[in-house]
Amino acid sequence: MSTATTPHLDVATPERVALTLPVAGIGYRCLAWLVDAALLFFFWIVAYFVFTLLVSDVLGVLRELSGLAQTLLVVGLFATQWLYWTLAEVFFHGQTAGKRLLGIRVVRMDGSPVGLYESAVRNLCRAVDFLPAAYATGCISMLLSRQHRRLGDLLAGTLLVREERIDLDKYTAAPASGVMGSSAVPAGASTRALTPEEVELVLAFLTRAPGLAPEVRQRLGARLVDRVGGLSGEARATVLATPERTESFLRERARAGV
Amino acid sequence: MATPLPAFVSRRRADWDALQGLLGRQRAGALKLEELRTLDTLYRRASADLAHTQTFYPGTDAHRFLNQLCGQAYAAIYQPPRERWPAVRAFFRREFPLTLRRELRFVGASAALFCLGLLLGAAVVLWEPRGAELLVPEGVRQYVAQGRMWTDDILSVAPPNSVASSIATNNLTVTIATFALGMLFGLGTLYMLVNNGVHIGAVTAHCVREGMGPGLFDFTAAHGPVELSIIVIAGGAGLMVGQALIDPGELPRGQALALRGREAVKLVLGCAPFLALIGVVEGYVSPGSLFPTWVKAGLGLSLGAVFWLYLLRAGRTDAALTGALPADSAS
Repeated sequence: MSTATTPHLDVATPERVALTLPVAGIGYRCLAWLVDAALLFFFWIVAYFVFTLLVSDVLGVLRELSGLAQTLLVVGLFATQWLYWTLAEVFFHGQTAGKRLLGIRVVRMDGSPVGLYESAVRNLCRAVDFLPAAYATGCISMLLSRQHRRLGDLLAGTLLVREERIDLDKYTAAPASGVMGSSAVPAGASTRALTPEEVELVLAFLTRAPGLAPEVRQRLGARLVDRVGGLSGEARATVLATPERTESFLRERARAGV
Repeated sequence: MATPLPAFVSRRRADWDALQGLLGRQRAGALKLEELRTLDTLYRRASADLAHTQTFYPGTDAHRFLNQLCGQAYAAIYQPPRERWPAVRAFFRREFPLTLRRELRFVGASAALFCLGLLLGAAVVLWEPRGAELLVPEGVRQYVAQGRMWTDDILSVAPPNSVASSIATNNLTVTIATFALGMLFGLGTLYMLVNNGVHIGAVTAHCVREGMGPGLFDFTAAHGPVELSIIVIAGGAGLMVGQALIDPGELPRGQALALRGREAVKLVLGCAPFLALIGVVEGYVSPGSLFPTWVKAGLGLSLGAVFWLYLLRAGRTDAALTGALPADSAS
């Protein structure tokens, strides 16, 4: 639950609120890079075949490339190696296609979006981070730095933050149909207010309950009722009679907090 | 005591959803002025809610959600100004030459290192011809032994592993590597500069010894001056980065690095169009005997002169008007 132990970016906004954004780790970055690399590879395959078809000289075409065409080839290669990343990061709010898919984005150290210079620096430095092969330097730098930044990020003053998909529906979900809300909480229940942690715990259980095995569902439900309910023997027995009753009771507890 | 978390969420959620919707549309670039005002208001409310959750519900999903939402809204509201075409024009008319003149001592150091390598390579080969076996690539030596220029094959039908074409297309790699290797405390840039200098010096000396000096001059005259200037400038940028790493001054090392990195990359970006231009010259004009040597030499000299005149003069009057110091970025 705690976000303090994982690497994060602290931002103090002018509104005097401290933002804490989670930092994308090496796994996210590798996956995003793989997606982008696959895209670019695909692009080159298509470009190659289109080119070959146009010249209609299968496989002989590369041998006949003149110096100029080779220059163009290298320029094109650098366009995909460098221009793609930089333009995508500048124009699509710090996200290349792969980063968008993985839900990570490049930001400056103060949380604001990257500009042209930062993006240019961090992408030019791919040449060094790639040394000696397969981003070895970059990976070592990511492992050593506190916020998982590679050398290019260090030079540009940027880092990658992660966007999580958080579902707020669990807070406002309607109780399961068929059980009256009023009868869910028996009279003997104590009126102790739940802490936010307990509310989170109960709600997390409720969202996962339908997918659990029946006996696990029963056991966890019982433990939660014991923790948050404060019920005596008979009321506890009626609440624990069926999973529906248990969960309805828990939902009411979390909802009302009393 | 605060309200229970679910009640708080259901009470405030409408605002958050509205803010999320606006942010999505803002990214698509389809917001009207009133909607922007709403965005601002909603952001401030969400900030207040975030402060509330920080105090009363820390570590919950609602807290994380608000963190993220405010982060996105913050990024949308405090965006850096967009670089548009006028900014590009201003960059080449003023900023790039100004930056170069401000960092001229790094470019000078870079040029000195390069020349040192050049002299070393040439001296070794001139004094001890067998040094060529060490310093000049095998392919080049074979061509020279046959009395041909390796560059003649660029335009011929099937050049197998033509050394020259790889040299010709290597400019980008060399330029980027020369800059980026500055991250290794400047040592990488140092190595690139000296190594390239030694290489070029050795090849030149070898050609001169074998009586092929005119052929080499014929090939390099048109593009050499600008191309070497660009590599030297990129080297200067790399040295700037190295200097920030070794001697960050009063700033923390990370901040100094980011600050110098922004300046250094201006030098590299500014060189990019000239690199492309000189690539065209190298591809079209330099190889073969389409143009006589004196035309190539004249072109090379004038291109180099124009390039350096631009670097040393452009934006000078504007600088006098706005004061010597460049305006810091407004971000």
